[in-house]
Amino acid sequence: MIRKKIKIENKLGLHARPATMIVKTATQYRSDCRLIKDDMDINGKSIMGVMMLAAEYGSEIELVTDGIDEEHLMNELVNLFKSKFNEE
Amino acid sequence: MNLSLKEFFEIKQEELSLSLVTNPETLNNEIISRHINRPSLALTGFFERFSYKRIQILGETEIGYMQSLSDELLYDRLKEMLIYDIPCLIITKGLSAPKQLEFLANEMKIAVLKTSQTTDRFSHNLRRFLDDYFAPSRTLHGTMIDVFGVGILLTGKSGIGKSECALDLVERGHKVITDDAVKIKLNDDKLIAMPTNDFGHFMEIRGVGLIDVEKMFGIQAVGLEKQIDIQLELMPWQDNMDYERIGLSDNYVEILGEKRPIIYLPVSPGKNVSVIIEVVAMNYILKTFGYEAAKVYTNKLQEKLREKSERRKRKL
Repeated sequence: MIRKKIKIENKLGLHARPATMIVKTATQYRSDCRLIKDDMDINGKSIMGVMMLAAEYGSEIELVTDGIDEEHLMNELVNLFKSKFNEE
Repeated sequence: MNLSLKEFFEIKQEELSLSLVTNPETLNNEIISRHINRPSLALTGFFERFSYKRIQILGETEIGYMQSLSDELLYDRLKEMLIYDIPCLIITKGLSAPKQLEFLANEMKIAVLKTSQTTDRFSHNLRRFLDDYFAPSRTLHGTMIDVFGVGILLTGKSGIGKSECALDLVERGHKVITDDAVKIKLNDDKLIAMPTNDFGHFMEIRGVGLIDVEKMFGIQAVGLEKQIDIQLELMPWQDNMDYERIGLSDNYVEILGEKRPIIYLPVSPGKNVSVIIEVVAMNYILKTFGYEAAKVYTNKLQEKLREKSERRKRKL
């Protein structure tokens, strides 16, 4: 299991489009994927879950990947966040 | 696909109140155009833009003009006009054909028909028939159903469960238009789906054989034709397939040059596809009424994100 804290750096936050990108990435891997923010702990393969976090610009969430390809999944997720979901 | 004049006369005689003025031998021509023409200008001698391949409609204007000409001039004009390969001429409002026209048409083997309907009414009826007859069409493998009034074309590989799905929907009070083969006609911008034959509403259910839906479920379970609003493709669940998750963007498919939304629906054991199809239909109705759940939700989310981000800025 890998855990990693990451800051939301795109101005619009985790709205529908970034949420879709996260879910689409997560569903391509066999590992489990969770996103944790405050007291919310949701499944990264569920679109409603990711949108429910309502993670705004500047807030911090924790990514958790767990499974045989957890490293690859974590890398790809981190890259998505770092690239600001290609929005800026 | 051309339409022989004989066939046209036989099938539409009653509905269009038609009678034949010329000899029966003149019915050997073919109708090759779905358009109609009123040859007023040709009668005045202007033949440069004469749409002679179309059915020619002679209304009060044309007949009146012909009557105003001298016998010799009318004879010459009609002769000049009937040299063209005209499919047929139709006189409306029960007016009588000038004797020169009847004589020359018989000579040149061009049919003259007569209808008691008014020019306007007749043109409208004829156009509707020709548009339908000459409409582009194709037949494809699928099942056509009517769910809450929404026309859904179910497609997908053989054995995926289209017929079983249609049956389940019929049980829930919806209609099946045709199963297995769907004939689609393009009418203006509408795609009309219908059965390929008139045998009735038979369906093959694997393991059972053929069943008669109408006999079994009653007349309310079937329909003769229905516009296609959405195509729904059933497919086996694939792990890497990019299924729609939010529904903000639509995928489209082109049928006879017309675009329709297409939904790729993964099917897996234990999944109740009929309920999902009902949901697809209801969501479509909501969209036509201007309500898009995906938009409403994502707008709310965006609003919330903006609020939270401003609150954070103020705190810093």
